[in-house]
Amino acid sequence: MGLREYVIRRVFQLILTLWTLVTLLFILFRMVPGDPTSRFVMDYPSDAERQARIEELGLNEPLYIQYIEYMGQLLQGEFGDSAHYRQPVSEIIFPLFLNTIVLMFTALIIAYTVGILFGAAMGWFRGSRFERVGIIATLVARASPEFWIGIILVWIFVFQLGLFPRSGIGGYGGELTMNFVDRYINFDFLRHLILPALTGAIVYLATPALLMRNTMLEVLKADFVEIKQAEGLPERTVLYKHAARNSILPLVTVAAIATGAAMGGSVIIETVFNWPGVGREMVASVSRNDYPVAMAAFLLMGTSVIVMNFVADILYLYLDPRVKYE
Amino acid sequence: MTLLTIDGLQMYYRSDDGYVRAADDINLELESGQTLGLVGESGSGKTTIARSIIRLLPDNAEVIDGSIDFDGTEVTDLSDRELRKQIRWREVSMIPQNAMNGFDPVYTVGQQIVQAIRYHEKETSKREARDRARDLFDELGIEPDRIDDYPHQFSGGMAQRAMIALALCLEPRLILADEPTTALDVVIQDRILQTIKRMQAEIDSAMILITHDISVVSETADRIAVCYGGRIVEQADSATIIKNPRHPYTLGLRNAFPDIGDEDDDLISIPGTPPELVDPGEGCRFAPRCPFAEEECWEETPKPEEYGDGHIVRCHRADEADLLREQATEKATWDGMRDKVRQSISRGED
Ligand SMILES: Nc1ncnc2c1ncn2[C@@H]1O[C@H](COP(=O)(O)OP(=O)(O)OP(=O)(O)O)[C@@H](O)[C@H]1O
Ligand SMILES: [Mg+2]
Repeated sequence: MGLREYVIRRVFQLILTLWTLVTLLFILFRMVPGDPTSRFVMDYPSDAERQARIEELGLNEPLYIQYIEYMGQLLQGEFGDSAHYRQPVSEIIFPLFLNTIVLMFTALIIAYTVGILFGAAMGWFRGSRFERVGIIATLVARASPEFWIGIILVWIFVFQLGLFPRSGIGGYGGELTMNFVDRYINFDFLRHLILPALTGAIVYLATPALLMRNTMLEVLKADFVEIKQAEGLPERTVLYKHAARNSILPLVTVAAIATGAAMGGSVIIETVFNWPGVGREMVASVSRNDYPVAMAAFLLMGTSVIVMNFVADILYLYLDPRVKYE
Repeated sequence: MTLLTIDGLQMYYRSDDGYVRAADDINLELESGQTLGLVGESGSGKTTIARSIIRLLPDNAEVIDGSIDFDGTEVTDLSDRELRKQIRWREVSMIPQNAMNGFDPVYTVGQQIVQAIRYHEKETSKREARDRARDLFDELGIEPDRIDDYPHQFSGGMAQRAMIALALCLEPRLILADEPTTALDVVIQDRILQTIKRMQAEIDSAMILITHDISVVSETADRIAVCYGGRIVEQADSATIIKNPRHPYTLGLRNAFPDIGDEDDDLISIPGTPPELVDPGEGCRFAPRCPFAEEECWEETPKPEEYGDGHIVRCHRADEADLLREQATEKATWDGMRDKVRQSISRGED
């Protein structure tokens, strides 16, 4: 099978998986008790008013009609209207999603860059004190709760050193209205980004570092590592260009999946730093019974995972010439 | 001209039980352009000896004593950096047992050859390096365009040829070939070996050829050194090792590969197992398996003695070689040993 057919087939599978995800989410959200009107009893003094609201939201229709309508909306890139904000969900969720992506991407890039280099070095210097201390430090970072790391960073960098702002993403609270460039490309945003991104980076660092170390230990047994040393190449070249380069393959999948999962946002990091992202919104919307928003949040998260898995497969083709598309 | 002189080398591995005496008092000389065959059973220290020359050894390896002189340079005194820049690959390259695993799977073979050339010859352009790789492929009987293939796209024999190209790309003065054909199909083993010989002659480099199989080196090597239990028990020019060996272990090895023995076609194996290399104690390490061992052999380590023209033997009874040679061709001699070994094993279990 050629590369092309392989990619086409994977795209087809991708679509099928996404469709399954949407359907499952739809069913799940109709199964949970309560509806957007049941929470704010006070807002709907009379049953009639409440009924009117339910009809307005289309919740009185038979399930299959709702399903078809929902799917139809999705195909147009719409998630319906938020019961809470009384606005189209897409207008709320996409800017939040973008905030999350920017934060998590930054955190992951730091975590994977540092983690890979550090893990590779730990594997290379196996049995040394450097490796032992490194493993302990990594495990401590991994075992630490996100909020704890966040609070410590805030304490040091905000309250003691006064280097960074405490929370938010900068601007004047009007984050959602500003356009992309104005919102992200400025020094103030960068200052707001550093602490939450660093928190995420510390939390995410352990997986690539430890995995990298383990695969390095395997790869280092391979004959070619010895040959490269016999060739007289500098240790740095053998370590990073050859051994680490080979060890990175299994990490591609993990990184892609981690990215997918992280795009759902970290509820805790976003809460600690008051970051207007999709994770924070997901929790808020669930507690408000605001289905359309919650569904959209879950859907974005699931889609990220699925799409990133797809990306991992395709990346693998390029990184490992031995992979046959089957 | 003498290219390599190893003098009194002791290369041990640290282990929890103490030193593993993998290379013990090794003395070797190699003329430039010549081939030295290093034979011996598994675990006898062949790889350890060869790799000591380029210090390509695990972390727990330790040079206890001795010197390695490569063309006037004391290799054991070089810093890691000097060793990498001056000796490794530029002067001494190697061909591993399994070429398929000797290439990094994520780069093309050509990229890897070009990298080796350009690291040591900064002035060589990428284009020139590629051309050299193509020429080498051509000479080795591989389609030159295949330098752009990945290692897994090669068959075993072809990967081994590509490995030879890598080993020769800097025209080193010494090639360490550690069982270069063992991983291959029997049918092509000989052809690969001939190819190595031909290329070696062309660039006039010396070679240390490691093998279990004494018949392989009997045709290929100028000199043969026989390893047993971390020591070189006998060395001489190939003809002497084949025709007039003096050490009982060499005699036994010859029997085990009957196609080089002259009249007797019986395959006689040497009973017993290789010696323990941690705390082996005094005495000849072959004594427990030697049908000719006497009191002295158990108590005192035999020193290397020369028996004319570079024929060096470590055996207390090397003087009686004619007698031993005759008895060694008899199956009964070794069978008697088999019983003794069995007895000593069962005694040990009591
Ligand atoms: N890293 C190590 N640590 C401890 N002992 C080792 C190590 N490497 C090798 N040895 C021991 O040193 C001895 C010599 O090993 P070496 O690999 O040189 O033998 P060899 O003759 O090349 O054997 P083979 O034919 O199996 O390749 C063996 O007894 C082996 O068990
Ligand atoms: Mg070996």
